[in-house]
Amino acid sequence: MEMTVKTKNDMNDVPDSDDENIVTAECLSKEFGNFTAVRSIDLRVKEGNIYGLLGPNGAGKTTTIRMLTTLLTPTTGKITIAGCKLPAEIAEARRSIGVVQQQMSLDRDLTVADNIFQHGIQHRMSFKEVRERSKTVAESLGLMPFYKKKVDDLSGGWKRKTAIACSLVHRPRILFLDEPTAGLDTQSRYMLWDLVRYLRDTGTTIFITTHYIEEAENLCDRVAIMNKGKVVAEGAPAELCNQLGEFTVEYNGNDHKRIYRYFRDKQSAKIFSDTLTDALSVSVRPICLEDFFLEKTGRIEFKAGNGDDTI
Amino acid sequence: MMVWDILTGAGRMAWSDFRFLQYNFIPVVVSTLITPLLYFLAFGYGLGKDVVIGDVDYIAYVIPGIIALSTVTSCFMLTAHKIQVQRVFYASFDEVLLCPITYPSIFLGKTAVGLFKGFLCGTILCIMGVLMSPDFHVTFGLIAMMALSSLTFSLLGVLAAFATNAITTMNVFNSLVIIPMTFLCGTLFPVESLPTAAQYAVDILPLTHVSECMRACALGYDFPWISSAVVIGFAALFYTIAWLYLKKGKV
Repeated sequence: MEMTVKTKNDMNDVPDSDDENIVTAECLSKEFGNFTAVRSIDLRVKEGNIYGLLGPNGAGKTTTIRMLTTLLTPTTGKITIAGCKLPAEIAEARRSIGVVQQQMSLDRDLTVADNIFQHGIQHRMSFKEVRERSKTVAESLGLMPFYKKKVDDLSGGWKRKTAIACSLVHRPRILFLDEPTAGLDTQSRYMLWDLVRYLRDTGTTIFITTHYIEEAENLCDRVAIMNKGKVVAEGAPAELCNQLGEFTVEYNGNDHKRIYRYFRDKQSAKIFSDTLTDALSVSVRPICLEDFFLEKTGRIEFKAGNGDDTI
Repeated sequence: MMVWDILTGAGRMAWSDFRFLQYNFIPVVVSTLITPLLYFLAFGYGLGKDVVIGDVDYIAYVIPGIIALSTVTSCFMLTAHKIQVQRVFYASFDEVLLCPITYPSIFLGKTAVGLFKGFLCGTILCIMGVLMSPDFHVTFGLIAMMALSSLTFSLLGVLAAFATNAITTMNVFNSLVIIPMTFLCGTLFPVESLPTAAQYAVDILPLTHVSECMRACALGYDFPWISSAVVIGFAALFYTIAWLYLKKGKV
């Protein structure tokens, strides 16, 4: 049984009451002059979840996270963070959130300890409290061996951990992570995934943006997929994959173009793949979130040119 | 209570800048003092050895000018550099904006390190000035003017760092505004020596008024109240424009 992909925009099947949602955004838009970066999106994030915002480059993820973290004022729409309405209760909302930005926002001239301490005092914690809390956070993230080292001397993964430690020092209820594993090696990525799960399990809600689909599939309880400023799909990763089916037949046609067909069961997929006698290559595999993501956001075809030259 | 909140907020905001200064104290101070020392030697003892301006030796005339130009450039440079690096390269200025701290605290906190450096530089140069010329006096007015000018130019540093997104733009601002101002605004020679049109031009720049005030305080001339009001006006102007940048989310 071949499956077709749903194309309707409103896949938000999140009927949760606002009491359960720690982040809500309604009809959120952002315009920069004539350019609309975010187009009337709705988001609801349940407390204690890891929520992923996925999308290709330029989809509007960073603009969305900057609006949710009070760094950008929306052109239209309403945001509520931990029960605080923006912009009226912005100071209260800021106390509830921790943010790790794509660029990490660390003062690289200072040590790990200084950076964590600085974040604490800027959030109006007492010097005594922040001194104790800095050590606790650094210990739980395994940062103690680097505590007195300058941030500039650390590797990318440890810098990212330091940024997360900074964002946790004032005990936020929600942690926003903007592309936390961009540019990290595999070991550091896995280390950060474990950390994110640990934070979720210890009661922090995580809002994460990424363009690594594997990351979202591994980590997130729910994801929203953004494309060209809109949320084009929302749900648990398994639910979204299920909209396509269970198995993918991926094959190369005579023109080298890759083609994907989705099926509810393995047998149907196998029967279809057996008919592809002219295909250059055929594979049958379970559907993953990446398939769904690409169906929703579109694929970019590679064109090698007209012919004689090789790359 | 509100004033206390602003001051404590400013202290929290300034902590990291002072930590940086603590780690880099000697290089920062040495780099600040080299240029004024060269000015003292070149203009005070070299070119102006036998020159008398008004009723004082050139060395006595030039010391307040050098103090003025050194304090304002050192506090401008440090404030602008620190904020621009935090904004553009480290993206750590966003963390400042995410904190529950008021705008006055942000401004006061971010100008504090510039104020400190300007004051430190001015104090060392004042001590040297007293040793170099008997006509030069350290007065309360001179110290107050050092504080006011350091605050004004630190605020200009904040504004310049908010308004520029690249090191090259900041360099252009330095070359077109700060460096000409340090030479032409009555620091090393009287403004009256300039052509009339140039006199009008330098009269609208804040350093001209800072030099006049400092010279009057150090050499015992009548205090130019209007000039001091102009400097306060510039401080208010820089604060307001920088505040608008923050308010409109352009930082």
